[in-house]
Amino acid sequence: MKLGILLTTSPENENTNTVIAISTAARKAGHEVSIFLMYDGVYNVNKKDFAELVDKGVNIAVCALNVEQRKVGRVEGILFGSQYDHACIAADVDRFISFG
Amino acid sequence: MKKITVVVRNLPLNTRRNAEALRMSVGLTLREDKVTVIFMDDGVYTATPARPEIIGFQPPKKEFEVLSMLKCSLLADVLSLGKRGITTLLPDVKAVNREDIVKPITESDIVIPF
Amino acid sequence: MQDLVKKMATELDLKGEVCPYTFVKTKLKLEELESGEELVVTFDHAPAVENVPRSLKNEGHKIMGIEQKGDHLWKVRIRKA
Repeated sequence: MKLGILLTTSPENENTNTVIAISTAARKAGHEVSIFLMYDGVYNVNKKDFAELVDKGVNIAVCALNVEQRKVGRVEGILFGSQYDHACIAADVDRFISFG
Repeated sequence: MKKITVVVRNLPLNTRRNAEALRMSVGLTLREDKVTVIFMDDGVYTATPARPEIIGFQPPKKEFEVLSMLKCSLLADVLSLGKRGITTLLPDVKAVNREDIVKPITESDIVIPF
Repeated sequence: MQDLVKKMATELDLKGEVCPYTFVKTKLKLEELESGEELVVTFDHAPAVENVPRSLKNEGHKIMGIEQKGDHLWKVRIRKA
């Protein structure tokens, strides 16, 4: 199954650990996981545990406009994309969860 | 084509969250999905002709213009409006009863509370 | 012939626009064109220059070229699918 996740809160919020836990478990169960980060969610790229999801095979894309507004640097393996990438995740997944 | 509903619930001032919810809603139309935006609870203030620019806050004018242009449904919850004494809404935002708020939510493939 | 095609390209100025309006407006303009016609879009928002062409390619359109015209000014030439 393809799972899509939207995260709009910064890493201080408990949402981050929930997203990490769900994504890790979903990957272990063999599901595809795609995460879109926007608004303060883009700060999560700087959290080690979160960025390491990429190594577990999770696709992560961020809203480049929000990244630019918040002066967040690029992180390898994470797509500095656009709202179009969010639309693609929403259109292509079987289940979608939002954490805001 | 999927149906996506975005629910805006919080006060619009001192935050960019609501404007970002609307910008995200515009983005979600880009793969031809049908997007509905619901304003309820304090989120209904977002859909009023307020003038936040007076206190130096940018109103989400462009977001509304594009959502209208893309023919997205913009619905405000009548009960939330009544509780707050709001009688005027932005053009293209329709005041609807709870039943008409529930309908797009139950028919949607994805619901995003923002 | 190439010069003629270039002369005939439709222009779209998206200076001052950010994501996703850059893509929305490009897409709407492309809908007005016939398959094979070209559109030249001007952007001044750096992330758009990277993301709009990538998204358009995903939609099947062809990116004919990206030209930097100034510090924060780019022209992207698109051929409609």
